[in-house]
Amino acid sequence: MQKDNQDHYKFCLGCGAELPRHSSKPRSASVATPAGGAPSSGRTTNAPRAQAGRAEALASAPELEVEESAPVRSARVEPVAAVDPLPPELAPLHDDTAPCPHCGSRVPDNFRFCHVCGEDLHARASSDAPARADAPAERVSAPAVAQAPQPATVRARLVLIEPDGSEGPAFRLSGGRTLIGRSTGGIFANDAYLSPEHAEFRFEEDQLVVKDMESLNGIYIRIEPEVPIELFDGSIFRVGQEILRFEAPFAPEPPADGTQYMGSPHRGYLGRISLVIGRETTGNSHPIPPQGIHLGRERGDVVFPEDGYVSGLHCRINSEVGHVFLTDVGSSNGTFVRVSSESYVPQGTFVLMGQQLFRAEY
Amino acid sequence: MEQARNYVCTECASAVPSGHKFCGACGAGVPADAQTLKTLFFGALQMPGKARLIVIRGDEAMGEGLSYLLQATEHIAGREADQIPFPSDTWLSPAHANFLYRGEKLVVRDQGSLNGVYIRIRGTAPVQIGDHFMCGQQLFRVDATPKDTSGPEADQTHFYSSPRRPSAFRITQVLEGGMDGIVCCAREQSVEIGREDCDINFPDDVHMSPRHARVEMSGETLELVDEMSQNGTYVRIRGERELSHGDYLFLGRNLLRVEVTA
Repeated sequence: MQKDNQDHYKFCLGCGAELPRHSSKPRSASVATPAGGAPSSGRTTNAPRAQAGRAEALASAPELEVEESAPVRSARVEPVAAVDPLPPELAPLHDDTAPCPHCGSRVPDNFRFCHVCGEDLHARASSDAPARADAPAERVSAPAVAQAPQPATVRARLVLIEPDGSEGPAFRLSGGRTLIGRSTGGIFANDAYLSPEHAEFRFEEDQLVVKDMESLNGIYIRIEPEVPIELFDGSIFRVGQEILRFEAPFAPEPPADGTQYMGSPHRGYLGRISLVIGRETTGNSHPIPPQGIHLGRERGDVVFPEDGYVSGLHCRINSEVGHVFLTDVGSSNGTFVRVSSESYVPQGTFVLMGQQLFRAEY
Repeated sequence: MEQARNYVCTECASAVPSGHKFCGACGAGVPADAQTLKTLFFGALQMPGKARLIVIRGDEAMGEGLSYLLQATEHIAGREADQIPFPSDTWLSPAHANFLYRGEKLVVRDQGSLNGVYIRIRGTAPVQIGDHFMCGQQLFRVDATPKDTSGPEADQTHFYSSPRRPSAFRITQVLEGGMDGIVCCAREQSVEIGREDCDINFPDDVHMSPRHARVEMSGETLELVDEMSQNGTYVRIRGERELSHGDYLFLGRNLLRVEVTA
């Protein structure tokens, strides 16, 4: 089964396998409305979305514009290197390739993901969990229909990360739906920043999915360093203790008599980031000039000198072809993006809920 | 040979003294403009006005150094004004400001313009929430601290907010086109604006002094303080304002100096 994935999707619509990302390359400006529904006006992230019934609904949906050069392929494509559709600039160079451990295609060394099957090579390479190294084809394996049915016991664990960085107790997730919140007790009972019903975890095929149950404070997922995540109007992210909101440029309509609004000169701001200090309230704001900005505790255009959880240089926001991206630049504590409604939780991802940080293991 | 000393009747060529409506010789009518002769001012030069405006920094079309004598009682300035026109400045409303005399005093009145009239402050000026002011090329607004919306929910869930500090007021930068830019919440009791080392910094604004101005809470009131900046700090007038010799005004992109001669 092959699905048409748009180039901003991080995961295949049909099977949930990770798609190749074009993080270092400008994305198509022609991406119109995401097929899975426009980003909600409230809070949005580019964290991968899990759309209910997405496969069936989208299989018949009219095809939107697809970037011609984007090597977006379904993860279900059989590993046949001969039909490699890569554009010349991305084509494998001589011997700077390595076989994909999943499908065997020759993948350039600088690729983070296999361009044929979408295998996350970085996660595999950086994984220090021996269990995963021993089971190379665990995540994006054969089609789900061919899988042996798994017993509905523990399929995943949320490992609590203590403030000192050590691992605390783990919360087990079954293959079904698991609701988490202050009312579900256990390690969540005493977290005043969790809503009584905060989040729901479930599996879609072999991917863990988290859904925000309209919680007050939301669910944040740590983004990978140097992988740009697109920001939309209202996207919320967290850096250290700071909650920041991206606001797309908004200018009032000038009067009909031809007078323009006077103001400070600017050459096309991308939007601005605002510090969230209340439900409807923001504090300091900073516009983002066309060349982008860096955020950090000591370095950057916007600094948080009093937040010890922010790295010296933490993340950047910049624009590529009219889209605005947030990129963690290797911060110690990470940059977290608030889940807009649902998101895949890739293996090993850090998830922030209430005051607690977890690592998803499955 | 001499020139006739009066109006000459077009019918019978007789001399008709000034003020006559009909020719005394033939009865023909005298045109209205020939009945009363009066001397008009030749341009504005014949009578020095009580005050004048000098364009210090203007838009390209109007040029700099132009001066306008204010010798009528009211003088409208604006993008489509007849008396003091700035046709190429899109920051000016068609009728933007009125320079008028009230008794012996020259007054500027904002004619309900979109962008307002700014006057250079001398030292310190009181400001209120909602007031606008300019430093260098930057425009700011004084805003109130919004109501705290970070209290707990009815179900006792606490709102996770970024670390907050008490703040008496905030300064918002207003961008060309009407969008808000930088917002800086006051720490302590003041917000300082300048090119560097201030609370709000504009390293590439060449018209900004290193330490240009500050807004501070003084008791219960807010004050805008110009810190001896080179180009001055300008506050938007509310309604109208009396002018005196040496005042500077910003109307859109035009900087004007007021010279009161009388």
